[in-house]
Amino acid sequence: MTDQTSPTTLTTTFAGTRGPLFRKALWGSIWTILTLGFYRFWLKTRLRRWYWSAIRPGGTPLEYVGDPLEKLLGFFLAVVVLAFYIGVVNLILMFVSLSLLASNVTAYIVSFVGVIPIWFYARYRARRYTLARSRWRGVRFGLKPGAWGYAARALWHWALTILSLGVLWPRKTFYLEKYKTDRTVFGSATLHQGGRWQMLMPAYAHILISAVILAATTYQVVMGQVQVAYLYALGVPWFVYGLIHYSVEATRLLANHKTAGDIALRADPRPATLTRIYVFGYLATGLISLLPVAPILMVVGMVENQRWRATYDITLEPGLIYGLPLYVWTGLGVAAYFLVFLLWATLRHCFVTMPVWRHYAETLTIENAPALANVSQKQRDEFAEAEGFAEALDLWGAI
Amino acid sequence: MTDRTIITVDGPASPAAPPRRVTGRALFFDGDTAQPVPVAIGYSDADQTLTFAHRGEGYRWPYADLRALRDQAGDQMVLRLRGDPTMRLLIDTEDDRALIRARAKRLGRFVSHVRRGKLAAWGLAAVASIALIIFVLVPVMADQLADYLPPEGEKALGDATFEQIRTALDDTGIAGLQTCENPTGLAALRKIETRLTDQMDLAAPLTVHVLDHPMINAFALPGGYVVFFRGLIEEAGTPEEIAAVFAHEIGHVVARDPTRIALRSAGSIGVLGLLLGDFAGGALVLFLAEQIIRADYTQEAEAAADTFAYNALLNADLPPSAIATLFERLTDDTHHEASAGILDHLASHPAMGDRIAAARAAEPSGATFRPLLTDTEWVALQAICD
Repeated sequence: MTDQTSPTTLTTTFAGTRGPLFRKALWGSIWTILTLGFYRFWLKTRLRRWYWSAIRPGGTPLEYVGDPLEKLLGFFLAVVVLAFYIGVVNLILMFVSLSLLASNVTAYIVSFVGVIPIWFYARYRARRYTLARSRWRGVRFGLKPGAWGYAARALWHWALTILSLGVLWPRKTFYLEKYKTDRTVFGSATLHQGGRWQMLMPAYAHILISAVILAATTYQVVMGQVQVAYLYALGVPWFVYGLIHYSVEATRLLANHKTAGDIALRADPRPATLTRIYVFGYLATGLISLLPVAPILMVVGMVENQRWRATYDITLEPGLIYGLPLYVWTGLGVAAYFLVFLLWATLRHCFVTMPVWRHYAETLTIENAPALANVSQKQRDEFAEAEGFAEALDLWGAI
Repeated sequence: MTDRTIITVDGPASPAAPPRRVTGRALFFDGDTAQPVPVAIGYSDADQTLTFAHRGEGYRWPYADLRALRDQAGDQMVLRLRGDPTMRLLIDTEDDRALIRARAKRLGRFVSHVRRGKLAAWGLAAVASIALIIFVLVPVMADQLADYLPPEGEKALGDATFEQIRTALDDTGIAGLQTCENPTGLAALRKIETRLTDQMDLAAPLTVHVLDHPMINAFALPGGYVVFFRGLIEEAGTPEEIAAVFAHEIGHVVARDPTRIALRSAGSIGVLGLLLGDFAGGALVLFLAEQIIRADYTQEAEAAADTFAYNALLNADLPPSAIATLFERLTDDTHHEASAGILDHLASHPAMGDRIAAARAAEPSGATFRPLLTDTEWVALQAICD
């Protein structure tokens, strides 16, 4: 009874609903505030476990086995390295810059430029950690080492993109994705990114055309032709749509050219659906997050009014009036800041992140699934630093 | 495929009856191949184990060692065996989940492969290294490097630091804190400066500013900056008191004390702002700016600046005891509300009494001094920010 007749194509289901996610994200965010940010390692782990377990290709869920403590450890490690960089390396840069050029601007530029490769390095390392802690059907994913190679290529492709005024962006997308995909493994199977970068160009057309419109309009406005400014109403939404369209289409095309031996992926996300999710999701998140500010503004208005009266009404005790506003102001400011942060962080998961993941998951199928029988387990990737650098450099806001 | 059966094998179920065995279904992942295997699971209550077979091999998972994965979406249950990292049992019917929950009492136990000792060691090492970098390595390096900084570099450092302080102390958040530019007041201040520096041999000319802020303080910056706050100008009783503070700050400039302090923070200030973003970064810049203003120089540096000031004042035919009268007023005058929430560095200095005595001792008894400003000039100086 070892084998069952497997279907050739595995469709993916998404089993998550907003209610449990809302509770998880809300409590986690509250704890994050109460622990001065340290709970975020636990929050991130728990949310990943939840998201991973919701995604079920062929009915069997993904599993996230990352540990919050190893994230904390990796963060410590990264902070030490960055403290050295910020303290000692910058001090030397500053001294050299001041001594040779009588200016500290150079030091700031060099120091900032110096962080950029670390930033790409951190992204790759974080991806490696996340994949190493992801499993499906009990088999580990993984990413082969190569963070500095990734950083070097990322710098090169970014330089080309900037020099070509953004036209070669799809080339960068393709080659960086290929670098990562070709090093991604699922058990004994290695993924392969097929296709060519030119296949992404049609998806890039929206961005190119709207960017040309925006540039031409801006040029005209700067030259004094202010009446053409109405073209912004066309160009800006088009450009925003172009960004979403490109990211969705590029993901789809790249996924459709990913293979692992005989196994192939087929993705069919729809740009229109995702645009709707992003627009309404962020709208809902933003509006609800700002709700608690309304009563606070009212209270602030009252206090303001009281202060105003106090300046003219001598019968009021000055100690009372002067003593009150400082606490009230500070208290209200802190409360408003954290409430907005709390609601934003929580609701974004419910209205944006989760629906986006659900759409990507539900439109993903795995072709030629019987070949999965040939995939076997890989060794555990210990990876003590986890995603500490990405965490310390604050690379990933969402998850 | 949901045809699960409960078979009572060992006779009818009753509380006193011998253990019974029921079976259910699950998907087994053997931790080696990416192939789900449907298995029949048996609840062997007699020896408290969950049993199933795969590839002719019998698996026996004790109830006490069953752990359920946490934070799962939907209502599925995924079991693992304590001590085994990869094998999984996916339970997808509610009946079986209920049967397992009733038997395995440690499903929710935490499983972690991170050793607490190692974590604590790393945490301590991280805190220690950061403390070492901030409190030892950076100050020592800054002190060494400050002596080799050429005058132009020192001036550039002073310019940048002055701008950072102006920005940090500004409440409006639009432009930097204003400098006071009343021409007659500036002329009076200039007169004090000339009187003091005429006898000196300074490496570079001084840059003197008054900042429109109620703090009762003055500070020096690299490259010959001497900066007063409006609060100090207004609090002073005589022009000689201003001259005394002025001479003290020139003492710091000559000894390059501010260069050491500014160099320590200059390396971090901009990059930290970039890395931490506006919220945390802005607060940090304010903190560092305050550190520069409060300028916790060493006792030796303060004493040296005082000694420098006594000599400079005597050379300019001015009374060193003016330092004492200013300090005495500040210590008596604790009720003034002008400090705007920032502790007055001068007034809170621990060795205040000693410094007052030293200032008096530095003045030869019975000495007479040449007046510094006319009454009109003194009024103009006190109104320099109007």
